[in-house]
Amino acid sequence: MNTRTSHNLFDASFNRRTALKGMCGLGASSLALQSLLAEDAQTIIHKPHHTPTATNVIFLFMSGGPSQVDTFDPKPELTRLEGKDVPESIAAQVPKIKRAGLKNIMGSPWKFDKHGESGLPISELLPQTAKLADELCVIRSMTHRNPVHGPGECVALTGTASGERPSLGAWSIYGLGRMTEELPAFITMNLHNDGMQTPQAAGWNSGFLPTRYQGTVVNPSKGIQFVDMPQGVTTDQRRRELDVIQQLNQKFLDSVGQQSELEARMRSYQMAFQMQTAAPELFDVKTETKEIQQAYGLDDDTTKTVGHGCLIGRRMVERGVRFVQIRVGGWDAHSGIKGNHERLAKRTDGPIAALLADLKTRGLLDTTLVVWGGEFGRTPTMEGRGKGRDHSPAAYSVWLAGGGVKGGHIIGATDDIGYTVTDRPVKPQDLHATILHALGINSEKLTYNHHGLIETPLGVTGGAAVTDVFG
Amino acid sequence: MRRSLAIKLVLLLFCLAEGTLRTQAGEIPLQGDWKTNGLVETRHVITGTEARNNPLRTKLETPFTGNEIYVRYRLHYDAKTLDTPTEDEGEFFVFWLDREEGTDGSTHAGNVPNIGLHVSNEQNHFMVRYNSGQEKFAEIVEGDREYQIVARLWKSKPGADQPFDQLNLWINPTGDDELSPHATISQKNAISSIGAVGFSTGRKTEYGDRIEVWDMGLTDSWREILKLPPKVETTAPAEMTVMEKTVHFDKDIYPILKNRCFSCHAGEDPESGVSLDILDEVLNQTAPRNADNSQLIQLIVKGKMPPEGEQKVTSAELATLKTWIDEGLDWDEQLLPTPIPQTKHWAFQPILRPEIPDVLNKSWTQTPVDAFIAAQHEENKLSPAPRAEREILLRRLSLDLRGLPPQTDSKESIANIVEQHLNDPAYGERWGRHWLDIARWAESNGHQHNRMRPYAWRYRDWVIDAFNRKKPFDDFLREQIAGDELTPYDPANIVATGFLSSARYSGNELDKEIQRNDILVDLVNTTSKAFLGITMECAQCHTHKFDPLTIRDYYRMQAFFAQGQPGNVVLSEQRERAKQLIAERWRIFDTVHHRMVEVRRRQGVPEPIYVIPKSVERGMQPEEKSRYNQLNKQIAELEQAWSFYSPVSAGTDLPVAPHEMRWPLPRDEASLEHRQTMLLVRGDPMSKGPTVDPGWPAVFGSTPPDLEQPRSALSDWMTSADNPLTARVWVNRIWQWHFGQGIVETSSDFGTQGAKPTHPELLDWLASELIASDWNTNHIHRLILNSATYQQSSQFSSENAAIDPENKLYWRWTPRRLEAETIRDSMLAVSGQLETFAGGPSRSHGSNCRSIYLLQKRANLPDQQLLFDSAKGIVSCARRRVSTSALQPLWLLNSDFSQTAAQHLAQRAGSVEKAVRLTFGRPATPEEQQILQTLADEHGLASACLTLLNAHEFLYLP
Repeated sequence: MNTRTSHNLFDASFNRRTALKGMCGLGASSLALQSLLAEDAQTIIHKPHHTPTATNVIFLFMSGGPSQVDTFDPKPELTRLEGKDVPESIAAQVPKIKRAGLKNIMGSPWKFDKHGESGLPISELLPQTAKLADELCVIRSMTHRNPVHGPGECVALTGTASGERPSLGAWSIYGLGRMTEELPAFITMNLHNDGMQTPQAAGWNSGFLPTRYQGTVVNPSKGIQFVDMPQGVTTDQRRRELDVIQQLNQKFLDSVGQQSELEARMRSYQMAFQMQTAAPELFDVKTETKEIQQAYGLDDDTTKTVGHGCLIGRRMVERGVRFVQIRVGGWDAHSGIKGNHERLAKRTDGPIAALLADLKTRGLLDTTLVVWGGEFGRTPTMEGRGKGRDHSPAAYSVWLAGGGVKGGHIIGATDDIGYTVTDRPVKPQDLHATILHALGINSEKLTYNHHGLIETPLGVTGGAAVTDVFG
Repeated sequence: MRRSLAIKLVLLLFCLAEGTLRTQAGEIPLQGDWKTNGLVETRHVITGTEARNNPLRTKLETPFTGNEIYVRYRLHYDAKTLDTPTEDEGEFFVFWLDREEGTDGSTHAGNVPNIGLHVSNEQNHFMVRYNSGQEKFAEIVEGDREYQIVARLWKSKPGADQPFDQLNLWINPTGDDELSPHATISQKNAISSIGAVGFSTGRKTEYGDRIEVWDMGLTDSWREILKLPPKVETTAPAEMTVMEKTVHFDKDIYPILKNRCFSCHAGEDPESGVSLDILDEVLNQTAPRNADNSQLIQLIVKGKMPPEGEQKVTSAELATLKTWIDEGLDWDEQLLPTPIPQTKHWAFQPILRPEIPDVLNKSWTQTPVDAFIAAQHEENKLSPAPRAEREILLRRLSLDLRGLPPQTDSKESIANIVEQHLNDPAYGERWGRHWLDIARWAESNGHQHNRMRPYAWRYRDWVIDAFNRKKPFDDFLREQIAGDELTPYDPANIVATGFLSSARYSGNELDKEIQRNDILVDLVNTTSKAFLGITMECAQCHTHKFDPLTIRDYYRMQAFFAQGQPGNVVLSEQRERAKQLIAERWRIFDTVHHRMVEVRRRQGVPEPIYVIPKSVERGMQPEEKSRYNQLNKQIAELEQAWSFYSPVSAGTDLPVAPHEMRWPLPRDEASLEHRQTMLLVRGDPMSKGPTVDPGWPAVFGSTPPDLEQPRSALSDWMTSADNPLTARVWVNRIWQWHFGQGIVETSSDFGTQGAKPTHPELLDWLASELIASDWNTNHIHRLILNSATYQQSSQFSSENAAIDPENKLYWRWTPRRLEAETIRDSMLAVSGQLETFAGGPSRSHGSNCRSIYLLQKRANLPDQQLLFDSAKGIVSCARRRVSTSALQPLWLLNSDFSQTAAQHLAQRAGSVEKAVRLTFGRPATPEEQQILQTLADEHGLASACLTLLNAHEFLYLP
């Protein structure tokens, strides 16, 4: 069964307008423009609170927790103190949580160099990203208290550990609406789940927001679920089916009088049909040039998964998907950090650098905020004897690029060994406020009435945008 | 208790090269040997031959193949004879442990442990080795010094056939050095059995060398080898140690506060709003168990309080206050009671049975429910919609009560059909699902590792059964909250506590305090929402801003649950056998776990050392593993339920079987017995405030002290006739599930932040009917289902809509989209594919049974369920939302499930006419007949059937 050929049965010129005409022609004339507008109220861009610096977000979520002291936060003291205990003065600040080992400091296996005009220090682990140093704003002072992957991922993507609140992506769509009717507004891709950490559905769920705002999980090599036309069904047959459904529905709508939900349902069939055309086109990367495919590493077994995800991510942004989340698992370097991080860096460094460069070339980086980071960082000490590092949420690094971000810039600082934050602590909620801020959303003003309780994206924990991220 | 080692050195076999006690010629012979006491020691003097020699050696009585052996000897090297490579060649001398004794001059093969001295870097060092050239060195050997040399030879994997692959060395150790050897070496090909031990000299050992050795010993423990007194086994500390209080509130604190503070900071209108006569307020001024960080103390220390002109706090008083804070703020509630919050909030007032209103439109009313509705209609000048047509009503009742489209019309009266549906097993499958939403029920732990709970399905079946058996709601509540406490023992009551054990629980949480607190927080939030309709979350961190609920109330509520925990409770009557199997299973597990921790500890892994259960299982010896697997199999054959069980308050002592999890909750019963609930300041498990006893929110009156069965007491209070919330909340839920919206819209929040009832009298009347009918849910169903209000059509009226656009006053029936489960079940039913399934372990997502029986793994629920706004099984879901997205039509049109359903429907119906009847429950109109027939003619009947399955009319409760 060749699904691709069945896609081609769709007439690409069949868009929303012609579809409407088709249906009207079949007698569904009372499908009033009014009802489309009612639906549009939920789907078309809402007015932002302030002038946005970005319209789209690509969140590169590095699951497992990349080590800050081996990537973006150089600590030469680690080498000097190799094998020693964490100095008293720092140990006293380390939160009393399990896993926070205070013995046997381990130096970084990688050298750091200054890169770009800004001289931003990046370790030799990430040579390709380093070439784009002047685009990155590194926050070295990320901090929270949850040292466990699952809850940590929920903190990183929803703001709280319990995983019951809406994800950042869901809030973005709730706040701003969709930019396209042909594709979901929030798409998430889970790549390389070879780490122990299963993706936390909370990271793309809608929590108490309506399901409409939840992220659609997509396998970049398979596309959107249920988008393929069943075997043997032609476009013509589908159009006829949609017409009949529309007529049956109209009769029901007429009998029960006003109900915007029913009208929205009728509209959703139209969107689904458009998606059936748009989605296969989105995932067809063969139309990209050889150079681009190569730049993203599609020809290399190590990089092709993340490269494919990143390239599709760019294509999504081009096609109006507002929030793209790419989760790459495997950074959990409990033992042998050298081997682990080298493997993960090889997977991600080239494709991510290619994404940044490609967005920049196409002028999309100005309006696309790219965020890179994990659920926490890692301890400056060795875990056990295995030359790895344990989880450490007390201080870790993330970077932002594009979407109005001031490149080549560093925010916050950690102690001499990178264990705790010494300047400008930034909680995950603050990072969320920052991302929403870039999108033009004031996280205190965006509200949702949850069964009578007025909720905001950050909830009772609160938070504030790190506005010095922006240039 | 240490087993004594079964090796004995046969000292008489020592053959000595030189220097033993020897009778010299001419000496007066003695009668027998010298009498010696402990002040005499025997030394062996060894000299060299400048070749390999075994001057002092012995066999063991039987070869030793145990898991570890400690070696000790003392050594003195005559300084004059000890040379270094810089002077000559240096020295070599070892103690060996080998399979065979060998001869005087024989060398020992490789992989034999040696403990002695050897040359390194131009110096003689102590060393251990298995093979020549692969030494690990310790300190330098100095002449004319006495050394105690201790080594531990052990097997990282226990077993007679396993190698002694680990060797540690200590020189002059103290008792504390056990975990820090001075040299360590490992060799995986080492010998696995020891038959003989002895000393060897080598080529470097000259004739003139004089080496004294004495005090040789072989034992099986560190303490014995060092001749230390046996360690006193300390009992494991209880999970939370509670300090003995030295400062008492009445005697020590109250006088200070009274004399120094209360003149301004007490009573009605305290200075700056700070009251020091109320515990909750004192908490705001202090850091828990941390006097130095407490605002109260800092103000005193800085001299800011008491203010200028007032008598200062003495240094003795300050010290007392500090101790008081550090010890956790002892407080006398009798002396300074926490004020009972006063409230006029409607939901917290007693339920007074209202009069049934007298209305004009009497002919419209069918049950008293209608009188309350009509009263509001008349007041607001609304006129009700006409009664729905019979076929609509049949469809509405069947989908509402059974979650399935109606079967053929039986021509019975509507009232009889209501009764038939309430007696249909499908009723429990439909209404049980409503309750599972509230109970945030699912079959896995949730969070990252998300392990399955293989016996959680029993609770699902219990809920279905409870509805089908018409269990009175008070029993329904009591069994879920206190099932394990109830007597006489009934396994169904244990299953019922699945309500509590459905809490999510991170199996990857190392911090047991956080892990337990997470569960308790879930229990308090879910229980108070589900039964009382109050949200207590906010009070977890601070006294509730809006509701009259205090932080103290929150933790008192938590205390009801503190002595129990979720687990696989064994329902089987073979309790003794179950206990033995489980105990033996844990014994094997713990032995291996302990062993593996020890190995890691000796390998220098820093504390604390964690070994996950999977590694423990991998580390088992074959015979351990086979017994362990056998036990697991036998345990799995015992009937179990994923339940909540307290060994402290349970009515019957029940075994709890293991549940696979990475870092499970502590399983020892003692830790539960000694648990005290402490108020956690700002909800932080690290910030422990004063201890609290179980109690319901003080606004509802006092809780008796010393509850032996705390959760039974809680459920008695919840189901008492004067509880203002329980009955209101339950009848409101029933109403919501029938009409799509509650009389109180926020059906799990009856607090001051919740919505106000649209029909307060109706709510109270239904609540008093519930209590008066002995909590009979079906009585409430009948009052509602037989009402004119319920039986209205959905006919729209623009006059009514202008007055009440959202139909809050029920002037018509509002159609609503079916829930995910009902959509799927209806598709299966009309296409003739629905498989009957009477309960049991959950079915895979591809099965054709009713949706309630599909496996509910958290974060991995069936796609279709999530697409159509199902509950997510994470927190209690009071009401499902209806959202519309383009992914729903994609599923309804393209999924294999929909396509298959359309094909089966086509086969079953055989004609457009029949297909419409099956899906819509009515004949097709000529227009429908025509457009569907045209489609069927062009693309097949299945295509027409697909459109029917996608139609509003099929997917909505009409």
